[in-house]
Amino acid sequence: MDNTAKTFVIPNELCRRAGVAASWLSVNEFGVFGHQKTPKVDKPSHFAPSDASVFQLRPDIILFKPILRKLVNEANGTFLTLQALVATEGDHKAELLKLSRQYRSIIRACLENLQDEVMRADGDYREELQNYITIFYSVECIWHLCEILFVDAVPGNIVLPHLLDWIRFHFPKYDRNAASMLAGDLGGLESHPDYWETVIGSLLQGRVKVVRALLKLHSEAESQPFRIVDQCLRAMPVYNMFSGTSIAEFNLQWNHWVVDVQSKIDAKMFISCYNLNLIMKLTVGNEIAWGEIQQYCETWYEMLAAWLFFTQPTVKSFELGQFAKQCITKMSIGNRIKHLDRMLLAAMEFDILQVIKEIQNMTDSGWFVSHLTDLLYHSGRLSDTTIETIENFHPDKLRESFLIDYGSLLMGHKSLWQVGLSYLDHCPSDGPEVTKLLLARLPLNSEMRAEKIVREALNRNLTETAQSICKVQGMACKNRGRLGHALAWALKSQDGTFVSFLSNKFLREYAESGDLNSIDLLDNLGSCILASDRLMFLGKYYEFQKLYQANEYKEAANLLVSLLESKIIPNFFWSILLTDAIPLLECEKMVFSSTDTYIIMQCLEEQEKTKDLKDKLPILRLSATRNLARALVHEAQLK
Amino acid sequence: MFEAQEINAEHKDLIHDVAYDFYGQRMATCSSDQYVKVWDQNSDGKWTLTSSWKAHSGSVWKVTWAHPEFGQVLATCSFDRTAAVWEEIVGETPGPGERGTRHWVRRTNLVDSRTSVTDVKFGPRTQGLQLATCSAEGIIRIYEAPDVLNLSQWTLQFEIQCKLPCSCLSWNPSLSKMHPLMLAVGSDDPNPANGVKVFIYVYSESCRKWTKMDAITNITDPVYDLSFSPNLGRSFHVLAIATKDVKIVNLPHVYDNPNSQNVITKLDAQIVAQFDDHESTVWRVCWNVTGTILASSGDDGCVRMFKMNYINSWKPIAVLRGDGSQVSNEGQRSSVSSTVGPQIQSASQTARYIKLGAISQPRDVPWH
Amino acid sequence: MAHNIHGTFVSEKVNKIRWRPDFMNASHYFVTGSWDNDQNSIKLWDFQENEEDAEVYPFLVAEFPHNGDITEVKFLNGDFFVASSSSGCVSLLKITSEHGIDPLIERKIYWEGVHKFPNGENCPCTAFCTYDNDIVSVGEDGSINLLNAQNQNVIRTIENADSCSIRCVAFLKHSEILTGNFRGQLKIFDIRAPKSQPATTFMLSGDQISPLCLQNHPTQRHLVVAGDEEGSITIWDLRQNTYPVNVLDAHEGGVMEIHFHPDHPDQLFTCSTDGDVWHWSPKCGSASSLLNGENVWLASEAIKNKLDVFTLMPKLHKPINSLDVNRNKVLCGCDNEAVYLINGVNVFK
Repeated sequence: MDNTAKTFVIPNELCRRAGVAASWLSVNEFGVFGHQKTPKVDKPSHFAPSDASVFQLRPDIILFKPILRKLVNEANGTFLTLQALVATEGDHKAELLKLSRQYRSIIRACLENLQDEVMRADGDYREELQNYITIFYSVECIWHLCEILFVDAVPGNIVLPHLLDWIRFHFPKYDRNAASMLAGDLGGLESHPDYWETVIGSLLQGRVKVVRALLKLHSEAESQPFRIVDQCLRAMPVYNMFSGTSIAEFNLQWNHWVVDVQSKIDAKMFISCYNLNLIMKLTVGNEIAWGEIQQYCETWYEMLAAWLFFTQPTVKSFELGQFAKQCITKMSIGNRIKHLDRMLLAAMEFDILQVIKEIQNMTDSGWFVSHLTDLLYHSGRLSDTTIETIENFHPDKLRESFLIDYGSLLMGHKSLWQVGLSYLDHCPSDGPEVTKLLLARLPLNSEMRAEKIVREALNRNLTETAQSICKVQGMACKNRGRLGHALAWALKSQDGTFVSFLSNKFLREYAESGDLNSIDLLDNLGSCILASDRLMFLGKYYEFQKLYQANEYKEAANLLVSLLESKIIPNFFWSILLTDAIPLLECEKMVFSSTDTYIIMQCLEEQEKTKDLKDKLPILRLSATRNLARALVHEAQLK
Repeated sequence: MFEAQEINAEHKDLIHDVAYDFYGQRMATCSSDQYVKVWDQNSDGKWTLTSSWKAHSGSVWKVTWAHPEFGQVLATCSFDRTAAVWEEIVGETPGPGERGTRHWVRRTNLVDSRTSVTDVKFGPRTQGLQLATCSAEGIIRIYEAPDVLNLSQWTLQFEIQCKLPCSCLSWNPSLSKMHPLMLAVGSDDPNPANGVKVFIYVYSESCRKWTKMDAITNITDPVYDLSFSPNLGRSFHVLAIATKDVKIVNLPHVYDNPNSQNVITKLDAQIVAQFDDHESTVWRVCWNVTGTILASSGDDGCVRMFKMNYINSWKPIAVLRGDGSQVSNEGQRSSVSSTVGPQIQSASQTARYIKLGAISQPRDVPWH
Repeated sequence: MAHNIHGTFVSEKVNKIRWRPDFMNASHYFVTGSWDNDQNSIKLWDFQENEEDAEVYPFLVAEFPHNGDITEVKFLNGDFFVASSSSGCVSLLKITSEHGIDPLIERKIYWEGVHKFPNGENCPCTAFCTYDNDIVSVGEDGSINLLNAQNQNVIRTIENADSCSIRCVAFLKHSEILTGNFRGQLKIFDIRAPKSQPATTFMLSGDQISPLCLQNHPTQRHLVVAGDEEGSITIWDLRQNTYPVNVLDAHEGGVMEIHFHPDHPDQLFTCSTDGDVWHWSPKCGSASSLLNGENVWLASEAIKNKLDVFTLMPKLHKPINSLDVNRNKVLCGCDNEAVYLINGVNVFK
């Protein structure tokens, strides 16, 4: 048995006894029902009579919770900006970094929103929200580190300042405490219970100035040990890329400084104050001192940044992984390492694929992995030479597979389908086909929605999909008894067969009841009249009726003759058309020429056997003959 | 994590087939009780029974929906040797204020088979209205409604002798006009000595006939179900087969060359995945809408799901099984948010969902 | 985004957005109607701005769950408004604000199922227009209903007024309405006369293009503008005849709504499915023509040279379904599940 698939239980006894089968409903919803092999014989199963149930299953997708839909929509804007950016020429590094920060600010806004909401919530909902906070806190933390390591172009790979920023942002406790202490009553701060913790915490986060300020507020600040510490800290060299100092020069300065501080420690200059002594030991990287302050670090990466600050101030980003591992070993937490830790460690080891693999397992329904992978892809981080050696690896396929999954997921949501579409739009390989499959399947609940879907299809040149949707709409109208509107949709769908079918229905109705329906529509066919012969006939016949009713007999007669000649007359309509000729033949003013009359007579011969015409034949023949005589005399006179 | 809504199907015996319409808003079920039932999802997500009728005089094996372009149309097949096409009629002239009543009318009854009709499927939408059936006597029949707006007239276009009893069939759903029609048929004949149990037929427009392809030669165990995956513009077709295990086969494209009289009769099929996770016979296989996940069910009583990753390799991702002892009221909740307004529906209108937790939760959903 | 634009994500697509009129002060309450949500709703928001604090958000005051997509919302006065939905109903709603209690939205009249298909299924009500207490609703069923805010009964129904679905409607006079249908036909009906045929029928254009919205000039009702699915804006002076005075090629997507500024009707606002919201304003020089009493929208010759068009917001990647303007503030409701407030729109010149 494989051990990778999760097992879910359908709470039903029949399903246990008979076994289950599934039918898919959509991309990720399906029905499960009790089922057994189809028998060869027809007799009741030994479960009968049974209480068969169907279970509709759908994944619990947290992104569909109203509070997280803000994240979905807002990030979509950033995603689209990013796609527009990379479609332009040039180097986008700086812009991509800005967009990465924009994504992070969206996550931050989402977290703040969740925190506000959690204050108001209670019970299960509160727990649910807290769960989301945990998820998105991790997302924010990893994103930030990935941004530093993979998106930001750190000059000279001097990563430490960024790493400290990252730690300060995610562990703001010491900054906060220090700020409140410094803003409060001055002097004698050591009475504050968190005083030394804050001093050391600030030191570990590289806030040397803050440490000095805090120490100044100690009641013994003017004593010798305190003054020497202040001097040392003031003199501590801090590497700055832009100061013009080379790394070698800096290391020289640094070593000097360490030797100087070490000599002062050895001279027991700080021995009077335990914590001062500890601080100074930390700055020179004394292993015992570092072992002692582990409690001030909630995580190994906090410890890592602090340790690097005092021992490897010019550490390069690609060296991070080895130090990270050392740090984990030193803290002996290797066996307590959690999912978040693994993801951060993978990032520090520059194993981007491992990062992506790990973040797939976060329960955020794929929001994080799709957006981050896309960003890394466009930052050129997935085509690094180290990755290319992996067999079968195609960075574009990896990016696309996440976007397709995420886009398809959103397409399955009643409201977010437009957002989903915009992700599929940026999947050059499979996107168009998936769009074609899913767009056509969006339920058409109202005409407003149907038309928005049709417009989206046309915007993507999916003419056939658009026409199919129009046809479904037409079919629905037909079944609802709105034939006129069905014809309007049929015309939009450009389906000649359907148009003919509906036109025929109108003609049949007329043949049966003598009423022509939807004449407002027939009045306004425009060039659509060409959609089918049957519609053409219907339109022209309606025109004939209008002319006749307006007493425009001559024009009506001309139209009637051209219809008789046209060969587009439905069989069941012959008798009606020929009967319509009678009053015109008998018209006081002659409206048919001899040629016209011959045509009518010829039609009469051809349609002799038409049942409906039987009783009208004599009168038709008579009228036609009379009119022919009239016409011949008249035409002879003209000659 | 899944949420489940239970629908009491009100069938008197096991359900043989469940089919969803094109939009996933309607569901049809059929059973040995000879009934077919149609269910609609209301705007609040709750599934309610809207029609139920005795469709056949024997067990109803399969039920399937036509594309909505053709209206609301179902086809069924049965032990009673017939297949039928049904159309829904919504009351033409209801009284004032009355909601139209729905009922399904039998438009045609296809009685050509002399044995149980084991499967029925509508052809691809772009080809008009075609219907394929297969039967225990080993004959595949292809019917067509020449006028797609008249469902009562069907002509039997082709009868293909398959020689072995047929259990299942599947149309290739490719939307491309480049690809000729393709049918896959499976046989549950138990004797391996009778040879191959999967047959691929391709329709040649120029010769107007169906040709059997020499494609899948190594499956001689009985086949109980097969299904083509929705085509995603790949350079091959994907067919899932339920036999003693789950097999996924890639089939190359066929192009109908009108200028050539030489009909191609050989296809290089490739088995790309085989799963014996069921450790027993597999009865059903079913694809999701985009063809990214395959669900199979087998004699171990489980549904197993397989997903393809971005480098086209398949991995199991989930297992479902029934267990009545797990029923509890815990975790039941309403699907509608807790905002109570002046006009919220009564509880019976609202869908209830149960949370299904995973019982074993290894951390990886693998991807390569 | 620019500092005068304030966007808020509201977790539902907004199909209609309207300022609550406040005749004494600048409005700060507004109402939204959602669509395509599992549970649609009408919401009342308060957007009290604060000079000192830029980080203010619209505050949800009251919520009213509603069946179906909200297809139109219009205020009759400061407290009463009307809403229609795709479930075929029209509602008269009231914002009740007793002192010390948060305002509530209450339904006063529910005209349920006033639009139905011939087979009895509910049919979307697509739009309505109002004139004092009169309400005229139209729907996909091609029917027209005359309702009144003081009467629970339907005053009059014209069944099958149109073979196609009716998309939009506007009052021309107390007794006359103009409707626009799916195939681009515009029809004038006399709703007080017994006959159910239109008095006049004319076309939006030659090509059966469907109008998406109709709007009257606030002081000259005979001046009507229509926005269509191809992005054009057509202007008629229905005193004269039914030939358009002007056709402006405007947006690239469909024109979802058009609004005249209530106090400065020479200013026009439009929004579109391709994510634009525009402000149309006569150029300073041409404003002098207004002094002669001429309406700039009826200036037949070369109107385009007399207008400035400003985009009020960077192009959005989803449709902007609705907008409303009050004084110098414009509101937009969009398909990216957000509402936007644009401040300091220059209408005063």
